[in-house]
Amino acid sequence: MEKNNCLQVNDLSIAFGGIKAIDHLSFTVNQGEIYGLIGPNGAGKTTVFNCITQFYKADHGDIRFTNRHGEVVNLNDKVTHQVIYEGLVRSFQNIELIKDMSLIDNLLVGAHIEYKSGILATGFRTKKAKREEEMQREKAVKILEFLKIEDKANAHIGGQPYGVLKKVELGRTLMSDPKLILLDEPAAGLNDLETEDMSNLLKEIRDEYGCTILLVEHDMRLVMDVCDRICAISFGRKLGEGTALEIQQNKDVQEAYLGKGD
Amino acid sequence: MREVKDKRRGIDASKRGGSDVNGIDKKGKGRKVTEKKPPYKAYLLFGLFLILLPTIQKMGLIGSATITVLGTVIFYAIVGIGMNVLLGYSGLISLGTAGFMGMGAYLSAYLTADLNLPFLLSVVVSVCIPLIIGLVIGLISLRLAGYYLAIATLAVAEIFRQVFIEFEVVTNGFSGKNAGYPKLFGVIQFDRQLTFIFMVIVLIGLMIFTYNFIHSRTGRALLTMRGSEAAAQAMGINLFRYKLTAFGIATAYAAIGGVLYVHFIRFAYPSGWNLMLSLQILAVIVIGGMQTIEGPILGSFVVFGVPELILKQLPVIGNVDGLAYVFTGVLIVVVIMFYPNGMIYLGNDMKKLWKKGRKHGKEQLPASE
Repeated sequence: MEKNNCLQVNDLSIAFGGIKAIDHLSFTVNQGEIYGLIGPNGAGKTTVFNCITQFYKADHGDIRFTNRHGEVVNLNDKVTHQVIYEGLVRSFQNIELIKDMSLIDNLLVGAHIEYKSGILATGFRTKKAKREEEMQREKAVKILEFLKIEDKANAHIGGQPYGVLKKVELGRTLMSDPKLILLDEPAAGLNDLETEDMSNLLKEIRDEYGCTILLVEHDMRLVMDVCDRICAISFGRKLGEGTALEIQQNKDVQEAYLGKGD
Repeated sequence: MREVKDKRRGIDASKRGGSDVNGIDKKGKGRKVTEKKPPYKAYLLFGLFLILLPTIQKMGLIGSATITVLGTVIFYAIVGIGMNVLLGYSGLISLGTAGFMGMGAYLSAYLTADLNLPFLLSVVVSVCIPLIIGLVIGLISLRLAGYYLAIATLAVAEIFRQVFIEFEVVTNGFSGKNAGYPKLFGVIQFDRQLTFIFMVIVLIGLMIFTYNFIHSRTGRALLTMRGSEAAAQAMGINLFRYKLTAFGIATAYAAIGGVLYVHFIRFAYPSGWNLMLSLQILAVIVIGGMQTIEGPILGSFVVFGVPELILKQLPVIGNVDGLAYVFTGVLIVVVIMFYPNGMIYLGNDMKKLWKKGRKHGKEQLPASE
């Protein structure tokens, strides 16, 4: 495996009953790039995400990830909640935030693995536990500032506009100091202005946080704008891979999206 | 390949708007994003008020029976707080509360009265044994999704109840088990008043302890698990471990409640630890308010205090058998239908209404800053 690789998906397959959701799919994400996964509805994009993050166990193939210590691990050997420890974190297509908590608390959930103190230490409020909490809160505030929603830090999630929720989900992924972020449709449901804002945020995350981003998206403007490389899939198979321009000119991709012309 | 600037970990805030580290000062309002201040003061004041009650009783302002009833309210409140961690914060249901409570009660009675162990040691043992048994049951039943914990704990509690009847060496069977007021360090013999004060201290201590861990990583993990298991797993939260933690806390608090019960009431009887009691504990939380520390205390007062203190004094219907159950049942229905957050929010909402009313009144005056 090359040094530059961040995530390497090799020959991945999964079937639900008789339906092959992913069919021998391989692609490689390089360190520090924004990599887009596109495809028509039902192409298997979210399934790829679920396989990488071990919500589904793939039938075949392996997923090699260069973790935060620079070691290459096969994610298929991990349990779902262990994946984040390697430095890989994801967001969800249908926002999975906790309504009963404030924005900042939702962010702090993202830092779960950064805490060391257990229930007794926090219950008795030891100095160490207090310091830890303060540190994480500072980090959360910084991220809220970065996302420009710091004025809502203590507001409840319930009733916030969609654009804010999308940002909080993004912020939560940043809390664990990830190496690779998997974003499932970060621009879904956003208006033009918010989408543009999101594009800029993603580029900033790549450049300033040094994170690699793998995203699934339907909004082609966002994809063409931010992605360094794109992989197009249809019915679980890879159609093509390359820069935005190369993908736009790819015959198979055009066919999958627009149908066959005579 | 784009050059990656290695500026990971916390983008420098200095670059971005120059706001200070602790909070946000951009608008000059000094609005800080700090932690909500823990309500320790309110808790301690509440505790102080409770501690003064026996003295007030001695002055003859309230009846002696009232103290007994309020003592009951206190240990059921402790059980309720533990149950709330399980039901309110983690969304799991246990129907075995009464069993674990009874086990704590019998063990402590046996250890202090029959084995003459020091009180504090017997408390530790009487909480640890139910806790360990609870964790073993959790280890088995929490692996299954859904309501298996409720079913498993229901069965276990019934088994416990049979054990309470049959295991006469420890429990004295149907005759019931006697226990004394606590004796601290073998010298300080508590009377009813001191036992009451001791229970208040335990209650306030547990309130603070619970508040602390709920407003930390543990509490957030529990709430996340309840809200979205997928999000919890993606954030590295081990679902099984946190379910077990919540169940362990509920069990330990139930056992503590049982220990206090037996040393305050000074008597335990096997049929008292039945399903009815477990359901009443659930009612305590539903009526008082889920996901609050104070809710179970109010709930416990409403479920265990009000029937004894008020309903029984009522003319005519006061003598009806099972009036307390009718009262609790009706209240559950009313609260769930019209006030699902629980009665603990009554005060808050009334304040809001009052403020709104005042604002409304002010608007009629000429506008002034």
